[in-house]
Amino acid sequence: MILLGPLGVALVVFVAAILAALLLRFSGDLSRGPALTIPERAPFAGGEEPLMHAWNRYHARYYVMALIFLAFDMEMVYMYPWAVVFVREGGVAMVEMGMFIIVLLLGVLYAWRERAFAWA
Amino acid sequence: MGLKRTLATLAAGAPTPVFAAAGLGAGAQVQDLRLHHQVRLVDTPSAASILLVAGGIPDSLAQSLSRLHDTMPHPRCTAWWPLGALPGLWLANFPHHVAIDHNIPERLRAIHGELVNGQRPSEPPMLADEDPAPWRGIGPYGQGGTGMTGGTPYGRPMAELGPDRDGLRLDVLPLNVGPFFPRFPAGLTLELKLAGDVIVETGIPVNLFRDSDQRNLRGDKISPFTRALSEPVLVSELELARARAHLRWLANALVACELRSLGLRVLRLATTIGSGEGDSLHSLQRVLGWTQALGWSTKGVGRVGADKLVGLGLGPVARASGLAEDVRAEDGVYRDLGFEPIVQSEGDAAARWRQRLAEAVQSLALAARAGDRLTDPGGVVESPHGRLERTTTPADRLLPLLPGLLHEMEWGDAVTTLVSLDLNLQETAAVEVVDAEAVA
Repeated sequence: MILLGPLGVALVVFVAAILAALLLRFSGDLSRGPALTIPERAPFAGGEEPLMHAWNRYHARYYVMALIFLAFDMEMVYMYPWAVVFVREGGVAMVEMGMFIIVLLLGVLYAWRERAFAWA
Repeated sequence: MGLKRTLATLAAGAPTPVFAAAGLGAGAQVQDLRLHHQVRLVDTPSAASILLVAGGIPDSLAQSLSRLHDTMPHPRCTAWWPLGALPGLWLANFPHHVAIDHNIPERLRAIHGELVNGQRPSEPPMLADEDPAPWRGIGPYGQGGTGMTGGTPYGRPMAELGPDRDGLRLDVLPLNVGPFFPRFPAGLTLELKLAGDVIVETGIPVNLFRDSDQRNLRGDKISPFTRALSEPVLVSELELARARAHLRWLANALVACELRSLGLRVLRLATTIGSGEGDSLHSLQRVLGWTQALGWSTKGVGRVGADKLVGLGLGPVARASGLAEDVRAEDGVYRDLGFEPIVQSEGDAAARWRQRLAEAVQSLALAARAGDRLTDPGGVVESPHGRLERTTTPADRLLPLLPGLLHEMEWGDAVTTLVSLDLNLQETAAVEVVDAEAVA
């Protein structure tokens, strides 16, 4: 290793990594069975043939829930600096955060009423 | 012993993965295979090494069986369990099948062992290895066209746009499910259109067991309800069969909810329970109620209003919706036994399983009190599925309701609803077989 020097060692490691990757690639080819036929690859629907391709666009109805989670999660960012000054400011900081949380809570209740948390 | 042989021996010792296609008269026998630890009934042919075809299979289902067969991985084999049915035309597509008639779990295990040890050759495919259509777009190099990638990927066209319930225009996927989908009754094929996992359209299903030569499909056993249409049958036999049928349904419903151990316990109860043993069902009722085993997935699902069911004679389904329709209420023998129909009010899937469990308890009590009383064959019988007549069965009257019932339902709820309805398409064929014999 000393003879090779740092550049030589890096080169050996690089070549060994390439060889290992190729070995894994070809050993995978050797160990796998024959390729699946088209009927073997068909999705199971109880004996019926698929009529159309299953790649399709559908309504991800939980996206409103995901957006609301993101919005309220970001509100937490406000709480970190508040926690730093809470001891120094005392009761005023407590009241301010209470008001903030109440406003957030009203937002949650509104979203709930609008069925934003319904999965489907 | 080489590594390959060791692995083959271990694989042969494992429970045999079997995908079962149950035809006429084979439902209970196939279900009973769950009680044998040597056999593991799997939900897709991809997980099976043996395709078990049991009972009478209409010729119209031959192509579906070929598709199931070709989906199985190698090594694979088809086993035919006739149960008294004559071989249909479909059997010509399976030249390498093995006929089995007794010691079924042991025979299946032996076939599995021969397959993995290489003593039995794997069955070749039946269908051609080619795409239904080439994956090629409209461009000179196969690129472009409509859809996400253009062309027809894997030989199938892309889904088309359709209105969504939120006013959007999204892809609508047509999909046919059945006739051997494990959660559906054998022979039921649903023609669906899906937007995501929401059903936006359902065709009226066709009963494939009705349009075939029924005499060829005849099995060894005829249910006492079918016999009671034309001959006197012991009330105790009829009521015990009813209780067992309800418990068999419950075992299937629990398997559909992935509660397999509980399902096995109920199935064991269904095969062993006798008249007057309703107490053992009370503990089951408590377990199911206390653990909410079926409650969460069935409450409020598949609700059917009583107004849609009036006069249809749909048995436990109607009574779970608040209709006290029961042929037995008009029967003098049952009136002497103090029979009164049990009814629920909710009409959802949860009410239907509570209804069947309560009726199973009631039937066991009736069977214990009935002594040697016989039914009066009047051409109408209350089967576990509803009013059974010579000309129509409960399934005939229930099938047209499915499109309205499944509309706008999510796929999971639709499966739960179908399981809770306990459709039996084979009753039609069974009645026609008995009628044909009576005429002859």
